[in-house]
Amino acid sequence: MTLLAYLLLSGLTTGALYALIALGIVVVNKATGVINFAHGELFMFSGFFAWMLHVQMGVPYLPALLLAVAFGFMLGVLIDLTAFRPLKNSDVISLVLATIGIAFMLRGTARVLWGGKSDYLPFPPITSPEPVMIGELMVIPQQLLVLAGAIVIMLVFAAFFRLTRAGKMMQATADNAKASTLVGIRVDRIYMLSFGTGAAIAAAAAVLMAPLTLLYPDMGFSFFIKGFAAAVLGGLTSLPGAVVGGVAIGVIEALAGGYLHSSFIEVSAFIVIMFVLIARPTGLFGPSGLRRV
Amino acid sequence: MTLTQSLKAGLISVLIAGTATQVSQAQVPGVTADTIKIGSFGALTGPGYLYGKLPMNGIEVVFDEVNATGGINGRKLVLVREDDRCDPAAAIGAVKKLISEDKVFAIIGGGCSNATFAARASLDEAKIPMIVMASVHDGITTPLSPTIFSVALTSTLESQAQLEYAISQGAKRIAVISMRDAWGRARYQPLMEAFQKKGIKPVLDEEMSPDANDATAQVLRLKAANADAVLIVLYPKPAAIFLRDAQKLGFKPLAVGQTGIADPAAFEDQVGSPGATAQFRTISMVRYTPEDPAVDKWRKAIESKFSGDRLSVFNLFGIGAAQVMVEALKRAGPDLTREKLVAALNGLTDFKTDVYGAGITCTVTDHRCNKAPTWIAKEPGKPVRVLGVTKVE
Repeated sequence: MTLLAYLLLSGLTTGALYALIALGIVVVNKATGVINFAHGELFMFSGFFAWMLHVQMGVPYLPALLLAVAFGFMLGVLIDLTAFRPLKNSDVISLVLATIGIAFMLRGTARVLWGGKSDYLPFPPITSPEPVMIGELMVIPQQLLVLAGAIVIMLVFAAFFRLTRAGKMMQATADNAKASTLVGIRVDRIYMLSFGTGAAIAAAAAVLMAPLTLLYPDMGFSFFIKGFAAAVLGGLTSLPGAVVGGVAIGVIEALAGGYLHSSFIEVSAFIVIMFVLIARPTGLFGPSGLRRV
Repeated sequence: MTLTQSLKAGLISVLIAGTATQVSQAQVPGVTADTIKIGSFGALTGPGYLYGKLPMNGIEVVFDEVNATGGINGRKLVLVREDDRCDPAAAIGAVKKLISEDKVFAIIGGGCSNATFAARASLDEAKIPMIVMASVHDGITTPLSPTIFSVALTSTLESQAQLEYAISQGAKRIAVISMRDAWGRARYQPLMEAFQKKGIKPVLDEEMSPDANDATAQVLRLKAANADAVLIVLYPKPAAIFLRDAQKLGFKPLAVGQTGIADPAAFEDQVGSPGATAQFRTISMVRYTPEDPAVDKWRKAIESKFSGDRLSVFNLFGIGAAQVMVEALKRAGPDLTREKLVAALNGLTDFKTDVYGAGITCTVTDHRCNKAPTWIAKEPGKPVRVLGVTKVE
């Protein structure tokens, strides 16, 4: 039982972060129909920004997190202005290529700015680094904080989409952009808001994650792949689906590593996704594929 | 023959000899009457700069010292640097540029293993003498390249040393945790062969990905297997995650690293969990830490030439490699050719440098010239210290 509890806790913590990354991908895709392949690099860049504030400039953790979220939002807006808006009438391939180009630019910039300081930059934990006993489990407090932080961020964004005017306009645009234009919603602004919001979620995830992992300029892509897999599992346009997909991938990885072998950690989640997509091509929470007309 | 005739004949002979030497030196790329051009390639930018730019800085201070005392046989050493960004394609381009455009005489280089390995074919084709300063990929020196010599350790030697060290520390239940990418496999396979030669089996053989963020599953399995030593074939990132989670779960085996984790002080910060690195030992290619008084001379040289820099072990890699090159150039004599340099390198036996764990020995059949991994460790709150040297055959 202790083994299972440890694996579930580890899977939930990692899964919560995958879920946050997936949320950002889904927010942009839901509104614009584009997969932002620079999402991982936005995650990485915002993490380094927070590191600069917190480690180099001595800004306390919480203000550093909030500033990094604001910085992430601005980066997202910048992507909308420089890549999405000029190409919005082009085909999807052009838009996707533009986001890939931005990903490389951000990675290259990060290598110049932070790649030379050390191989991997540590981000000090905000709680004690000493493990604590909870029941029979030895836990790093930062792990619990990450889990709690991820849940809070998910709830805040759920409330944003359900309760705020901007959130409702984003939902409306995602459902039908033309109809939204007809009722007076400025769709361009909603697209910009979507890119900004997606990047802000990535920034929050990065700052939460940084003390548990390390920062390095090439970290974005591996997180993006896990987040993207979670988003696909959840249905690509479903926000609850992104959360369920992320947590499922985290837990499957942990259980496969603990009960089968560590070589299954990387592939197990993808095997499960493959079977889910064969049975349900639009993902767990995606729209039903076909309907009679 | 009169005195005048004798003087004339002598003068003509000297002129002819001088012209002949000039003609022959003119045909030797990178060598003039007063300079020898040595090329270097490695990462000057990006995270791999530790294995490129910093060793090159080390080479530069050795060359400065030699040049200040008149050079080698009256020729000053000139270093030409090329950036390979740790990228195999860029490394091939850098080597070709050094050979064709910069026309260097020889090379001291090779930071990132895969990049250097990719450039081997171009180096072999040009038959240019090279001393590898930091790359550890077996394929760079095995099968033997007639002109490539390595003063870096190789991954096979390191893997053997990891197992030897664990056994020497009394470990009975030895486990392995490794990455299985190209870098990891280059070490993992020789490690398994080393186990086989000793007639023992690892109690557990676990994997981790280079980008892993959690090692709970691996640690729990290793703990259940009661491993008393874990040989770590991981980059610093997954290794830091592994030791952090091992500490969290109360698993404290002897943890044996390799040169992929070359800086125990930085690694302690990366792990970030107090006491987690107390049982961690790793390999250094050099026998001194940067704080050691034995390398005071080089600390001063680096810090005065490169303002803002502090001496690091990576500088020492370049210093050792440059000292070997300087010695071989001296032995090759004034009528310098690449063949003579290669012969001089092949003849180095127990040549002592200021940095390596033992003397450098190269032979015609084995160009892995450094076989003395040094063990280093850092206890919490204390400086990095050298534990000893393992000689591997």
